[in-house]
Amino acid sequence: MSKNKRSMWSVKLSTAAIVLIPAAIGINYLGKLFASLLRLPLWLDSIGTVLASMLAGPIIGAASGIINNIIFGITADPISTVYAITSGAIGLTVGIMAHKGWISSIQKAVVVGLVTGVVAAIVSTPLNMIFWGGQTGNIWGDAFYTFLISTNSPQWLASFGDSIVVDVPDKVVTVLISYFIFKGLPNSLTNIYRQDSEIEEI
Amino acid sequence: MGSMTLYVEKNSLIHHLDPLVKLLYVAASIALTYILPEPLFIAGVLFITFLLLVVGKVFRNSLPIVALSMVLIFSLVIVQGFFHPDNATELFAIGPVVFYEEGLTVALGLVLRVLVMVGAFSVLILTTRPDEMVERLIKKGMSPKIGHVILSVLQLIPQMRATMGKITDAQRSRGMETEGKLLVRIKAFFPLIGPVVLNSLNETKERSIALEMRGFDAPGKKTFLNEEKIYPYNKQFAGMLVIIILLAIVWRVIG
Repeated sequence: MSKNKRSMWSVKLSTAAIVLIPAAIGINYLGKLFASLLRLPLWLDSIGTVLASMLAGPIIGAASGIINNIIFGITADPISTVYAITSGAIGLTVGIMAHKGWISSIQKAVVVGLVTGVVAAIVSTPLNMIFWGGQTGNIWGDAFYTFLISTNSPQWLASFGDSIVVDVPDKVVTVLISYFIFKGLPNSLTNIYRQDSEIEEI
Repeated sequence: MGSMTLYVEKNSLIHHLDPLVKLLYVAASIALTYILPEPLFIAGVLFITFLLLVVGKVFRNSLPIVALSMVLIFSLVIVQGFFHPDNATELFAIGPVVFYEEGLTVALGLVLRVLVMVGAFSVLILTTRPDEMVERLIKKGMSPKIGHVILSVLQLIPQMRATMGKITDAQRSRGMETEGKLLVRIKAFFPLIGPVVLNSLNETKERSIALEMRGFDAPGKKTFLNEEKIYPYNKQFAGMLVIIILLAIVWRVIG
């Protein structure tokens, strides 16, 4: 039995893990579609990325996030390309925290969601500053931005507030949904993506 | 089953350009708006981008893509026009609402830049087949595995959209409510997304076995099914774009 457990950063990816990326992107797309079909007040467009991070670790999670936004950039919505880095950071954060055991209970999953939301806002803020002067184009976020600016807050703080109002609730709900789905998956399915699985030799 | 891409099949000069040159144009036009951030100059870049859309016979197809960014544009004009920190000179007022010159100038620059970005991307995505672009990128050294991922997403999403229709119908026929109060709608989310996720994860299992059997993981050089297309004036166009960027940088440094 080999003792050298492969770390979560292993770059050599199994075919199953690579095939997981398109599936994750598809799930992202459907999450967004169902959310708008049911007129839910959130995007829920990163369920696939989060799920892929939980299943196959941070590298696959980040790859799903980045490729997701690039594909939507070149097929539907050019503006989403800008946020490829944010999506990558989301995948990375969830992947690392999941590997460290932060998805063992609902309470911990909420913490993962909060951390992910804050990370997403931190990464988005400079992007929003560079590309659109600090705003996000989301009505609630921009209203909060306007409020902060009118109280004489510096622009970067207002921009950060703009992102955080939008990102944190969305990411908490996204991580929770992914957590419930993940817990419901059969072991025969979750095992095939893991990079750190030990193979016993006879 | 709709297709995922916005590619418009037409016969134009832009359609026959190398996808990589168009990709370079996207990068160059966005970079230019930062190197020389005067509204008049950005408007010039925007004009050229629209000209390319017209030459590519896809100007009308680009309008829905531009419309997608309208919310952002409105938000930029309103928020920056009212509340920009440097606002001092009153330009005009509608009732109690006052627009300031400084804020609107900032907003104008930002809006033009958003339009350039969306326009340049439209030139790329409306006149380029995604598989052609991916193949070019792989030939230039991108990993074929990433290429596979991108192209299979484009096939997978229409399939998943069809599955989604089936699942929505199946759950509705079992009495699931999809209308009504927020709580009812939230409850409906799980029976909808659950089966799709399971379904697509199960498919990845089969897909990965199928790929392995065809040597997806095999080491060695991969060959291509399609013969390499010859693009006219490829180097010249790419060189021109690079020179324009360099000139803009020089202009910025001197001016």
